[in-house]
Amino acid sequence: MTLELKTIAPSELHAEMLRLKTERKMDFLVNLIGMDWGEEGLGVIYMLESTETGETVNLKTITDDRQNPYIPTVSDLWQIANIYEREVYDFFGIIFLNHPDMRRIFLREDWVGYPLRKDDRTELLNKLRMTDVPLSDTTKEYFLTPDGKITEKTNTVWKGDEYVVNVGPQHPSTHGVLHMRASLDGEVVKKVGLVLGYIHRGVEKISENLTYPQLLALTDRLDYFSAMQNRHALCMCIEKALEMEVSPRVQYIRTIMDELQRVASHLVYYACMAMDTGALTAFFYTFREREEICKIFEDNFGGRVIQNYNTIGGVMYDIQPDFVEEVKKVSANIRKRFHEYQDIFTGNVIAQNRMVGVGTISREDAISLGTTGPVGRASGWNNDVRRRHPYALYDKVEFKDIIRTEGDTNARHWNRMEEILESLNIIDQLIDNIPAGEYQAKRKPIIKLPEGSFYQAVESSRGELGVFIESKGDKTPYRVHYRSSSLPLANAMDTACRGQKFADLIAIGASMDFVIPDIDR
Amino acid sequence: MNDKTYFGGILDAVKSLTIGLKTSIKVFFEHHETEQYPENRATLTFTDRNRFCLEMPHNEKNEHKCIACGLCQMACPNDSITVTSETVTTEDGKKKKQLVKYEYNIGQCMFCNLCVTACPQGAILFNQEFEQAVFDKSKLIKVLNHPGSKCQERPKPVVSPKPAATPATANEAPKASLSHVDTAPAPKTETADKTEPIETKKED
Amino acid sequence: MFDFSIISKWFHDLLTGFIPEWLVIGIECVIVLLFIILLYAILAIALIYLERKICAFFQCRIGPNRVGKWGLLQVFADVFKMLSKEIIKMRQSDRLLHDMAPFFILAASFLTFACIPWNKGLEILDFNVGLFFFIAVSGIGVIGILLAGWASHSKYPMIGAMRSGAQLISYELSIGMTMLTMLLLCGTMQLSEIVQQQADYGWNIIRGHVPAVLAFIIYLIAGNAECNRGPFDLPEAESELTAGYHTEYSGMGFGFFYLAEYLNLFICGAMAATIFLGGWAPLYFPGWDGFNTIMGYIPGFIWFFGKAFFVVFLLMWIRWTYPRLRIDQLLSLEWKYLMPISMFNIILMALVVCFGLTL
Repeated sequence: MTLELKTIAPSELHAEMLRLKTERKMDFLVNLIGMDWGEEGLGVIYMLESTETGETVNLKTITDDRQNPYIPTVSDLWQIANIYEREVYDFFGIIFLNHPDMRRIFLREDWVGYPLRKDDRTELLNKLRMTDVPLSDTTKEYFLTPDGKITEKTNTVWKGDEYVVNVGPQHPSTHGVLHMRASLDGEVVKKVGLVLGYIHRGVEKISENLTYPQLLALTDRLDYFSAMQNRHALCMCIEKALEMEVSPRVQYIRTIMDELQRVASHLVYYACMAMDTGALTAFFYTFREREEICKIFEDNFGGRVIQNYNTIGGVMYDIQPDFVEEVKKVSANIRKRFHEYQDIFTGNVIAQNRMVGVGTISREDAISLGTTGPVGRASGWNNDVRRRHPYALYDKVEFKDIIRTEGDTNARHWNRMEEILESLNIIDQLIDNIPAGEYQAKRKPIIKLPEGSFYQAVESSRGELGVFIESKGDKTPYRVHYRSSSLPLANAMDTACRGQKFADLIAIGASMDFVIPDIDR
Repeated sequence: MNDKTYFGGILDAVKSLTIGLKTSIKVFFEHHETEQYPENRATLTFTDRNRFCLEMPHNEKNEHKCIACGLCQMACPNDSITVTSETVTTEDGKKKKQLVKYEYNIGQCMFCNLCVTACPQGAILFNQEFEQAVFDKSKLIKVLNHPGSKCQERPKPVVSPKPAATPATANEAPKASLSHVDTAPAPKTETADKTEPIETKKED
Repeated sequence: MFDFSIISKWFHDLLTGFIPEWLVIGIECVIVLLFIILLYAILAIALIYLERKICAFFQCRIGPNRVGKWGLLQVFADVFKMLSKEIIKMRQSDRLLHDMAPFFILAASFLTFACIPWNKGLEILDFNVGLFFFIAVSGIGVIGILLAGWASHSKYPMIGAMRSGAQLISYELSIGMTMLTMLLLCGTMQLSEIVQQQADYGWNIIRGHVPAVLAFIIYLIAGNAECNRGPFDLPEAESELTAGYHTEYSGMGFGFFYLAEYLNLFICGAMAATIFLGGWAPLYFPGWDGFNTIMGYIPGFIWFFGKAFFVVFLLMWIRWTYPRLRIDQLLSLEWKYLMPISMFNIILMALVVCFGLTL
């Protein structure tokens, strides 16, 4: 079940990528993972998928020059590669040729070294700094001259006379510590830039020193509104590597919990959307119902947000005896209350005017930007992982694909609202038929994954969340990478916000529904 | 909204705004959801799955079940458990490890339950005491074994159900296999391994 | 109905008996000033408490309930907290203007506050262009907001102030228009006279029926916008501009903005009560003599406060229901909808008055 990776030399990479994109219609760059293979050199893994045929292609490229690793950029082919490549540059020091914006993205600009390299001495080189560095307004671009030399030029990101407003890192509506720099012309947004990393915890680096069971504790803290799905993804990835089967009971429990989590997450989304557009009262309406879901979570796993529920080969605890009854009660209550959400907020003319036709993302842009989940589906791109690569019980249950084509804030909002009902439908199909069986498969005391690369994606509340594990056969992974579902969404802000009003920036941000710890990992 | 006439638009707008007002005034007179802590302390309910603070249960003879194997310390992703042990010689000449101090730093704990599931003896469990706020950081480091306590004498290591947790809820399967596999060689191999996680874990 | 002017006249005559008149007027001014400040403080405290409770009830919460019984002392605790806070000086702000801005806003709300007829014979500023004076002084507030935004030397306050300038100037038109409409009905600008008429012939909103109700609704919308309250709280827009024009204020500087906001809310309510709902005039139905007598026993200022707080509740209800508008929508609401409708409304009212169709 390991991932097959075709190796391509950096010099041929761009041509091959172009061929894949144009000839084989590989228009969705799922993942771009920086790797340090030690002796072999530094490299990048590309995971491509075609939205038309559903084919996938996985490639890797290695450069053995550790001092000056150069790899051509693919950011001209897929917009999302722009931010992925900056991430790889930040952590591995791989310089992407012709990339227009080679700045650090998560770390401070005066950071020394590249922390995800295996030979990096991060703690020695980076003492705690007590001073601030101003954000630079310029960036470097590296490119190859015809005579084979690497040269650099300076690009200007923010001009001196631009009215740049810092939205964040402390701002009521960035849902955490996202820092957006918005260039304004009066009230109109001209450009949005992201400054990330304010709560970067280096989960991927920490993971390299943890055993597999220990890894699980960190996933809940990535996208805390999709905690269940994150952990599900990691557990499935490890189970896939171990070729471990989980019992049908576990599959049922996991699927129901995933959907409950999705409902809870979308309810929070509604609350945030309402609050960001100024309807504070509506905020409390969904929190009221979410509280009931949280109560179920608390009774069953002992945690409301950080649940620690899925384990390798099963789940931590069996469901409580009253679980079925409680879920039905909550499901009925949400359906009953559902119209209230529309009555107080979306139904009214002010909210309609704030949402319809605002922040449009076209289908092409959505695919190129990799905005999976409800955001992508609002642009007419059916990207549901549950449909594309069914896992758990999603090939057995019936559910509707919720797709809109407008691509605006309203479509994104209504996609999520309908997904609440659709998730409840899935739960209703499963809740009465939970089979008996064990809730935890037998497993060895020390878990070692076989050598190879493994990838497993789930549909989290915000889109495709993937877990990539590279194993060398040890107790600890060699490299863990999470495909963040929120990073592409935050990255899409620039596309969606250009030409909109400043107030729309906040509303669009809310409709993207990104979770910052998931971006910063 | 462009397909509507000027007055039609006004009418629709007024209608939708009235619905909003109606909904909010309805909720105005509804039940308030606020829970008033600490007044509601008595009515707060927790299941044994709620994890708030690690505890080492002692019986009435001031005995615990910990055999100082260090598995919990190894399982902990955050180094929040430090087991200090000493080796003593028993009367029949066998060397045996004994727990001296079981330190638990709740300030670092992620409540992931790995230590509890790793324990072959069922010696530790999470309790439901949630009021853990203190004024001094050093108070977050708790010593779990009571002063003067010692390990419960057992003829053989047996697979015992965890105290306080019902068999249905406790995660028995991996634990059972763990204790079977590790019973005999456990103390030796684990002591050899014990230094390893401390070295490899660089993060705080 | 009890006429308060009897007391004030008696007091005036008493004093002029043994001290010169200029001194008497001086003493009376001081007393009136103290009265205004006291009332201002009490009303602000009551309104803040009310707002917090009402908002909580709309949101399935209880609201403040820790400081004092039912959280009654919460506002005092807040004020003490605000008083004890450090006043932060921005490095590049225009200190003089920055410190002056809250006083402009405060002055505007004090002056408008003085226009309100509380009871029969209990008015502080009462002259023949009272309504005109009211509109004029309420405009001073805009200067304060613009100054606050400009002098803070910060981007969010700047955007907030600019929005506020556009918003307040636009909505002042609607306020003026609705007042003009009612003026046609009353034929006088003197506030005490307007109320007296309503006590004699019935409330304006009933007397003027359709155009008066229309004007009342427009007044509520525009008044809400004048107070910078949701759904028109764009100058503050906490989810967009953190706190808008008063982002950079701390301590009592912010406190003044906060007080003025609530007092403006009350003034908006009080003006609506005075012009549309009969001020201190009780509810009379012609022919229901028993009912009318009972209503007549209720003191005028209770009628007045009851009506004012009713309007305040309406405004709070609106605030805690709707999402915020965007600046272009806000302006198009005013210029495309409220303005034409109020212009039409003036003509309608003129016709109604002209043909004697009033009730």
